Amino acid sequence: MSFFWIWDFIKPALEIGILWVVFYHILVFFEGTRAFQVFRGISYLLIMFLGAQILGLDIISWLLTKFFAISIIALLIIFQPELRQGLARLGQQHPFNIALEESEIVAIVEELSAAAYKLARQRVGCLIAIERETRLQTYIESGLDVDAKISAELIQSIFLVPSPLHDGGIILRGNRVVAASCLFPLSDNPNFSKITGTRHRAAIGITEHTDAVVVMVSEQSGEVSVAADGRFIPVVNQERLAAVLKDLLVSDAKKKKKK
Amino acid sequence: MKKWFTDNLSLKLVALGLAIITWIYVNRELMR
Repeated sequence: MSFFWIWDFIKPALEIGILWVVFYHILVFFEGTRAFQVFRGISYLLIMFLGAQILGLDIISWLLTKFFAISIIALLIIFQPELRQGLARLGQQHPFNIALEESEIVAIVEELSAAAYKLARQRVGCLIAIERETRLQTYIESGLDVDAKISAELIQSIFLVPSPLHDGGIILRGNRVVAASCLFPLSDNPNFSKITGTRHRAAIGITEHTDAVVVMVSEQSGEVSVAADGRFIPVVNQERLAAVLKDLLVSDAKKKKKK
Repeated sequence: MKKWFTDNLSLKLVALGLAIITWIYVNRELMR
């Protein structure tokens, strides 16, 4: 008897706990995107709806019920980029750097870090996207095929200004530079778009749409940044850049080996 | 442990609020 009595208290707490975790993960997934603001608006409407129900305001409840019914279609249109991104992430099962040993990844990271800091010293802007599980084929097709082994010298020569390939970004897959002059999607995150330049927005943009890691050098400040998962990770020097990249890429390779 | 609670606290509180509201609403509907 006492078990059922206790269960009556635990059950609502458990249900609210499950709902809490689900809502929290949904909010984290959409945080910092345009969709997050829409979510906030919907939350206000939900609170209004509940208030109207409790107070017995039938007209308001009826209007809000009709509004929610229509807004299903509107939400599908508004969230279309996020839904596409979410579904693409669900289908990510294409490991690309699985063939690379940890030592090879470390060597690539060293070359990349050296190239980024050499370019930064010369105040030459650069944008390097490293493919992880999500295929960057769409962006590769927007540029020119290179298909050459990664080296600091190659990256430098691509981005030096007289080079016809210096505009846009390069894409790395495994130990190859697969394409240069690629166009990346620009982030429409309101926190970035007003204060940052186009290269920064492109770096964040591609990491919002895919799981790629981006190394970027600002032409104006000569600052080197790493972007992943729609966020910048601060780096202060070449060693730190190599450590951050190693962390991101080696952990990937280990995960894939476990599979 | 403390860090887990304080990280992204505002988002956690919003999520908790939404969870409680949803539970109350659905519970009311089921009770009818």
